[in-house]
Amino acid sequence: MSGEGSFEVLRRDPRAEWIARNRLHPLHGTINVGEEAEVRGPSGLIRKNPHKVGFIGPNGIKRIDRLKGNATAAGLGRRSSGPQEVQLPLHAVENPDFYIVVVPDLVGGRLTSQDKDVLGQAHKLVKGIDGEGAVVAVCFGESKEEGYDTAGVDRLIHLGGEEYEGFAPEQRLAALMQVEAQLQPKHWLFPDSVHGGADLGSRLAARLSERPAVQAWQVDHASTVSRGASGSKDIQRATPRILLLAEECADPIDETRHEAQAIELAAIPLTITRLKDQGQVAVDPNAIPLAEAEFILSAGNGIHNWEQFHEAAEVLGATEGASRVAVDDGFMPRFRQVGATGTWVTARVYIAVGISGAIQHMQGIGQCDKVIAINSDAGCDMVKRAALSAIGDSEEVLAELIKLMQAHKAEQAEGGDQNAA
Amino acid sequence: MPLNVVSLVSVGRHPQSGRQRRAEQDGRAVELGMNLKVVQNSQLTVLHAGASSEPVLRTYAGMGLPELKVLELAEQDDAVPALGDYLQSANADIVLTGVRAESGESSGMVPYLLAEQLGWPLVPRIADIVSIDDGVAEILLALPRGQRRAVSVPLPFVASVDNAAAEARQTAYGPGMRARIEGNKAVTEVDEVRAGWQESDAKPRPKRLKVVKAKTAADRFKAATAKPQGKAGKVMKSESAKEQAEEIFKLLLEEKVIK
Amino acid sequence: MSFEWLHPALIATALVLAVIGAVRRVSLWRAGQPDQVNLMAGLMAMPKRYLHDLHDVVERDKYMSKTHAATGGGFVLSAVLIILVHLFDVDSQILAWALLASSALMFVGALFVFKRRLNPPSRISKGPWMRLPKSLLAFAGSFFILTLPAAGILPEGFLLQTGNVLLTVVLTALIIWGMGEMFFGMSWGGPMKHAFAGALHLAFHRRQERFGGGRSTGLKPVDLSVVEEFNPATSDKQVLGVAKPKDFKWNQLLGFDACVQCGRCEAMCPAFAAGQPLNPKKLIQDMVIGLAGGDDAKYAGSPYPGKEVGNAKGGPELIITDGLVSPETLWSCTTCRACVEECPMMIEHVDAIVDMRRFLTMEKGETPNKGAEILDNIIATDNPNGYSPASRTNWAADQNLPVMSDVKQAEVLFWVSDGAFDMRSQRILRSFVKLLKAANVDFAVLGDEELDSGDVARRLGDDAAFQNLAKRNLETLSKYKFSKIVTTDPHAYHCLRNEYQDLGSNALDGVEVLHHTTFLNELVQAGKLRLDSFNGGTVTYHDPCYLGRYNGEYEAPRELLRSLGIEIAEMERSGFRSRCCGGGGGAPITDIPGERRIADMRMEEVNSTGAELVAVGCQQCTAMLEGVAEPRPEVKDIAEILAGQLIEEVH
Repeated sequence: MSGEGSFEVLRRDPRAEWIARNRLHPLHGTINVGEEAEVRGPSGLIRKNPHKVGFIGPNGIKRIDRLKGNATAAGLGRRSSGPQEVQLPLHAVENPDFYIVVVPDLVGGRLTSQDKDVLGQAHKLVKGIDGEGAVVAVCFGESKEEGYDTAGVDRLIHLGGEEYEGFAPEQRLAALMQVEAQLQPKHWLFPDSVHGGADLGSRLAARLSERPAVQAWQVDHASTVSRGASGSKDIQRATPRILLLAEECADPIDETRHEAQAIELAAIPLTITRLKDQGQVAVDPNAIPLAEAEFILSAGNGIHNWEQFHEAAEVLGATEGASRVAVDDGFMPRFRQVGATGTWVTARVYIAVGISGAIQHMQGIGQCDKVIAINSDAGCDMVKRAALSAIGDSEEVLAELIKLMQAHKAEQAEGGDQNAA
Repeated sequence: MPLNVVSLVSVGRHPQSGRQRRAEQDGRAVELGMNLKVVQNSQLTVLHAGASSEPVLRTYAGMGLPELKVLELAEQDDAVPALGDYLQSANADIVLTGVRAESGESSGMVPYLLAEQLGWPLVPRIADIVSIDDGVAEILLALPRGQRRAVSVPLPFVASVDNAAAEARQTAYGPGMRARIEGNKAVTEVDEVRAGWQESDAKPRPKRLKVVKAKTAADRFKAATAKPQGKAGKVMKSESAKEQAEEIFKLLLEEKVIK
Repeated sequence: MSFEWLHPALIATALVLAVIGAVRRVSLWRAGQPDQVNLMAGLMAMPKRYLHDLHDVVERDKYMSKTHAATGGGFVLSAVLIILVHLFDVDSQILAWALLASSALMFVGALFVFKRRLNPPSRISKGPWMRLPKSLLAFAGSFFILTLPAAGILPEGFLLQTGNVLLTVVLTALIIWGMGEMFFGMSWGGPMKHAFAGALHLAFHRRQERFGGGRSTGLKPVDLSVVEEFNPATSDKQVLGVAKPKDFKWNQLLGFDACVQCGRCEAMCPAFAAGQPLNPKKLIQDMVIGLAGGDDAKYAGSPYPGKEVGNAKGGPELIITDGLVSPETLWSCTTCRACVEECPMMIEHVDAIVDMRRFLTMEKGETPNKGAEILDNIIATDNPNGYSPASRTNWAADQNLPVMSDVKQAEVLFWVSDGAFDMRSQRILRSFVKLLKAANVDFAVLGDEELDSGDVARRLGDDAAFQNLAKRNLETLSKYKFSKIVTTDPHAYHCLRNEYQDLGSNALDGVEVLHHTTFLNELVQAGKLRLDSFNGGTVTYHDPCYLGRYNGEYEAPRELLRSLGIEIAEMERSGFRSRCCGGGGGAPITDIPGERRIADMRMEEVNSTGAELVAVGCQQCTAMLEGVAEPRPEVKDIAEILAGQLIEEVH
């Protein structure tokens, strides 16, 4: 949105200013005057708050406020209430002729960006087919999502029971079969993802003996282009009933609001599940393969206190990485080496401690999102690449970081106790 | 009675050269089968549906397999009926496959269709089979970012093996060339649906651009002229170590890598 | 009582026992695989090879060369004369005097051996070898005394007089000791075995080309037909590479027996110096244990660093890597050939190591660390790092290079090598192209048709992958016409020049394969390049193993540097004694841990010359030396240095 402060156009509202000045105006009480620049102190003397005197004019220059703060507060009060919630037009489907069902992944209870793309794709399909169609989202498990309406969900089936929680593909499939029987959807759309979409879609396709299009990326009502042969071929075919859609297959909905009206399903039989979920396993960060790790603390030539480094990684819950030199010097095992000659990593956050950044190393962290450098040399390549750099003694910074994290953990433990109490 | 493990293998495709190779995940399926053999004293059959003259099969054999079974199929045949037919009668306890083949349609449907046909449970994307006791297997599923989920499942079952499973061992030339590759007659069914498709080399997909839907002239102007956010990061030189650590800590919290 | 029969009988017994031992030893060697050698010609050439080729190497240590000449020469002469004088009782004062002289010579030589052994350097083996100088003295001394009567210095029968019983007993004991060591020990596995096996090794050496100053460094190809045409019903299972000692060629086994445990290889081996578990001398001794059976409890030299002596067991029918030699030992080798170059007995350590690696890779599939991945990449993408084969010429997108598939012929074919994929090596390639263009050389590249030379695959033991690449490369080469191949990569150079010839193609017939330093030197000497003199401080030159020891090119790079006015500050280890950078033989891939890194040691040697710049002629050496943590001298390929000094014509 357009909220970045420096670009905000300041506009005065003379009427509001006038009302603010006129204490007898009937609307005077509704105008937010804001904190006064002059207040009576505890001893009864009038105190001036120098920060509140004056206001920033339209040209960015501070102006003397002859209205004692009233005008600006009122004038800005109206404008700076932030970008207004725009009420998007409602797209209502009263009596749908057909349904297109989307089964979003709902990772962490929220729609993922791929889910939203798939919903967008569903609406694209609806437009291409004669008659009025509704997009149904079938959501499993706990849902924290509040934006079903703006994501393009016309009808919502939410199955939040315990039997759908965690890993429950058999029960979920039973529910989908019920949806199939009740709505006879024109298309089934799944995100082709590792979060369960591909699995559930394949299960449904096998159960319904439908041949799905997998890694579909260009879909309309007539034909579908999907990737085959591990992404090296495009397969064009008539659009099948079940689609497993690639990321960014279509644009998400952003101009309309939808009903997100709940549909009641007839009772779903509890299936006998043979796959028994034993829950997620706690994984030691150092057991996660370097290439997959989300958060890496990496050590280089500049580390002198290795015990402290290992402690930091443990406390922070980061996977350990290393530069080639640290490995060559025998401080870290070879499989920890990050870089073109070691492992190419994909971490979201990569902390490079004492790594100046040889070209091979920089190649290896090319896909990392946020790089944090802790280094004594401000001119090194790693600092140039990093989103945040701390220049100084890495040992001190790590020590502080460990302290912070320990304090943070203690706080959390306390918080947890209070919640429990 | 020893367990019967069947690993299905296919012809892989190298992502850079496009050359045929041992498929990553299928190799892992064989590796898992071979490791089960050590732990569980099971029998491993490595099965391919296709041509027995396929040279890539030698790279699977090179992992130390004395023989491979091949269900002889032509290029246009569907593998599922042949495999299903074989497995019906093979008395298998565990069928291991890759998640998706590297050549052909790569739909990843084979394990699902086989499981459906055999009426067995399907375990998707497994990282390891931890134990098998009293006909129940404890399995670790691979979740994104190296996470794992434990699942138990009764035998027999079909499982697809994820890239997180143990890497396939090196293939050795000598044993690979010496292995016996036995071709068997199989049920052939031409894949009619596929015959109606058009296949072409993958077109590069356009990257999604950030489209600014501006309401006002000022917003549009801003979107058109605003400099992209500078690449240079924040550099803290004079701050104390404590301040620096606090700033880093803030970023870690923001990025939700620490909880 | 007469004891006249005693000494001749003793001599005869010793000789008979020696012959029996020799027959037994020969049968041990014959357990190996057949190899084509001309036996007669070899035997005829042996004395010359001994005096010339072997002594050229021994001569590097003047003290030892003189000592050996005296002792060895004295012994050979004495032995012949002893048989004549004492066994056959030829009554000749001249012969007796000659024997006195020769045994005296041997005695003097043995004294020097004795002196050397008083405070021996760590590289030489102790144990039975410490006994040897005394045995030599006993042999020479006792026969000197025994011969005195025959020479007429002492009266006939003096020694056998009853009054001299003590003298007779002592003398007889010394003779038994001396002959036990020199005749019996020679064929039954004592230190003197080296003379017997060594002489035959010289005669039947597997690389006959090495004699007379020749060079033979290319690895021998594996016969893959034993598995490719394998039929379980009819063929017997023959492994690829060497699994058991008997899988070596018979003359390789013979070669192992020739080892004198002088430890010169050990002193030169970069892996040993870096504390990796390899000691070439111990390796050869372990091979001897393998061929004869037994354990290494009696081995009295330096161990493999980090490994205890006494646990290795082997036999001709036992798999070597199961208890005799650990695989890490084999994978520590950088194939730098420093040991082979230094070995006075001309033993081929590298051949043996690669033979055993072949078994580990092609039969067991146990190439350590990144080995498997690299080999998979080589097979699937024709380059070790798995880059797209279609991106091979991306580095030259701005270079406008003539490609062979367009021009079909050129004077020079520039073999780019896998450096094309590496950003650092690309700088070398660009510099070289700049020089080629400046000298108006008619050249072309193969472009994407070029494949990896197969060097890494072969050194990692995957000869199948090597032969596949080589055959495909040769097929490509046979399509075009050119008279020279020039490459900046000594490893590709070695393969093209020395190893492709075994693969039955005539694509390289009449083609001169050159390293870029050789070719550039020709251009500079012919005045085709105008170069500014260099004034960037002290420069040293690092000899790449595959250019120097493998191909004998030591001079061209130095001449090039001199032509820039550079006075090379030579390192202590340079020329044929240059130390490896640690990058050869797939060593960075198999990555066996040691106590130090070879590249760091080499950089220390560079530092000790005070050089600010190391000139190199190999992209692998460049990468390894640049991998040393800074501060360190700059590392540049000679092509880069030259390109920097090029005076470009202004049009």
